[in-house]
Amino acid sequence: MGSRVMQTGIDTDAGMKGSPLLRVEGLKTYFFQRNAVLKAVDGVSFTVGQGEAVGLVGESGSGKTMTCLSLMQLTPKPGSRIVEGEVWFRDQNLLALHEHEMREYRGHKMAMIMQDPQTSLNPVYTVGNQVTEPVNLHLKQRGQRALERVIEALRAVRIPNPEQRLGQYPHQFSGGMRQRVVAAMGLVTNPELLIADEPTTSLDVTIQAQFLSLIRELQLKYGTSVIWVTHDLGIVAQMCDRVNVMYAGRIVESAPVRQIYKQPQHPYTRALLDSVPIMGVKRDRLYQIEGQPPSLRAIPSGCPFWPRCPAAMDICRQEYPPRTSLGGDNFVHCWLAEK
Amino acid sequence: MQRKAPPIRAVDGVTFSINEGETFALVGESGCGKTTVSKMILLLERPTRGVIRFRGRDVHTLKGRELRGYKRSVQAVFQDPYSSLDPRMQVLDIIGEPLQVHLGMSGRSLRTRVAELLQSVGLSPEAGTNFPHQFSGGQRQRVAIARSLALQPQLIVLDEPVSGLDVSIRAQILNLLGELQQNLGLSYLLISHDLAIVEHMSSMVGVMYVGKMVELTTKDELYRGSLHPYTLALMASVPQPDPDIPMGTTISGEVASPINPPSGCRFHPRCPLYGDSDICRDQEPDWREVKTGHLVACHKV
Repeated sequence: MGSRVMQTGIDTDAGMKGSPLLRVEGLKTYFFQRNAVLKAVDGVSFTVGQGEAVGLVGESGSGKTMTCLSLMQLTPKPGSRIVEGEVWFRDQNLLALHEHEMREYRGHKMAMIMQDPQTSLNPVYTVGNQVTEPVNLHLKQRGQRALERVIEALRAVRIPNPEQRLGQYPHQFSGGMRQRVVAAMGLVTNPELLIADEPTTSLDVTIQAQFLSLIRELQLKYGTSVIWVTHDLGIVAQMCDRVNVMYAGRIVESAPVRQIYKQPQHPYTRALLDSVPIMGVKRDRLYQIEGQPPSLRAIPSGCPFWPRCPAAMDICRQEYPPRTSLGGDNFVHCWLAEK
Repeated sequence: MQRKAPPIRAVDGVTFSINEGETFALVGESGCGKTTVSKMILLLERPTRGVIRFRGRDVHTLKGRELRGYKRSVQAVFQDPYSSLDPRMQVLDIIGEPLQVHLGMSGRSLRTRVAELLQSVGLSPEAGTNFPHQFSGGQRQRVAIARSLALQPQLIVLDEPVSGLDVSIRAQILNLLGELQQNLGLSYLLISHDLAIVEHMSSMVGVMYVGKMVELTTKDELYRGSLHPYTLALMASVPQPDPDIPMGTTISGEVASPINPPSGCRFHPRCPLYGDSDICRDQEPDWREVKTGHLVACHKV
């Protein structure tokens, strides 16, 4: 693996120095069904700086996974389409690329690791085989060179005795180790961007902690940018420099991690934070948000959060609030902030 | 040729009690045995050894009327609201079934009781004519709770009651469970991996690891002064939703398996206090009351 040594962005309000690694602008991805158009991603814009860890936080239907699949151009086909927007990876708009050009990025410069290692790993191929595949394909390396790289990748994700374990099959690894193998597959080509979509959901708590600490360490060592896609506010607080809160296909608030947790501006962000129990903080009753996240088939008019919002006004029902800057790259979409 | 495999000791010498009106939480990771314990309480598994007593009676020896009485007294709500409700039954039948089977209810009195139960969990009586797929996850979990309340139980086993729900819905269900406990004097056995929820809901906590209980004490004692290195490691592993509270030191190694547990203290390969001690490696620690009301199994405490 390369020896790029970069600082991870510690949360600064001034944002990252230099141009961002990834710039998503006005991304819209819709599902086209016989009698409905489901707006899974409806105008999403955000940036990821070099070495930065950015969170995409949201619940069911928020659009966070579809956003990432759109970045990789892996949205389900037929049925869905990216209808608008630009995805700038450095100075290349990925959405303007043909599929064969996109392969240069996907699995190479951008990698994605997902929730269930069972589905990411092929049960009939050895672990060594699967981690070698991207090396052969993208780095065009074979034989001894490829082997060395693979062993190094497995060592980097702390798989003990990688030389022996190369020849083993996924079922011979525990859940936590399988997830680390998936991480190795993603990281072996030294990608600039890693997208982690709920990678720890199936892991035990102590194993999750090991995995988070591993990704943090690799990030610091190799300067990899990470997009964390999750609903877990604990993971976001510990792993992210910057947070984008998503609801019904849009980003409703974007700010550095401390600001999101200490001074949330959007009622949804605030409500979410108040409703989650924190160890050591006693609460008789948790703050509860009424109702549930909207289904894509029935997104409320205006600001989609209004039916559940304690501060909803007439205008919230009528019109989606514009972007209100909170300084720097930070923003919120809320009529309360517009006042 | 047949080879007899050694038995898997899913639960190996666990002792605890649940008091009336309180919430007792069983905490632990995969393979710790917490689900097996709950199954034995629900009579879905038989204990190999040992006894489970409900109001002084060994539940696995009950028969006839007493057995039926026990089944009414102890109910369960499970993790997945999508698989715990029969998709081909209307909600009023799902909730009404226990009333019909155990109490022989029917007609108007049945419908009235079902409507009451739906209201008690925050659903409207009209919801009874719907099928599970017409509800969201949170609503389905409410239906499951209503069903568990139908026979006026005394103890409800809650197996990860909110893990399968969206974050913004969890508070609704946790608050509902709290209210019901207050109003109906219910006791809960909470099984959860989420230490923040356990702290919020329970008064007593038992921590399990690979079939053994390693620590047992009140919630306050556990969260302020836990003694077992595994409990401490669990707490340190939880990512807190506050960027100013960093995670503690993680421990290395895999969660041990009950199929082939480590010798002596099952936690020793991962334990920061192990330091190659013979006793940790060779001898299982005794279950001792190290402080009043605080039991621990550890050689080093």
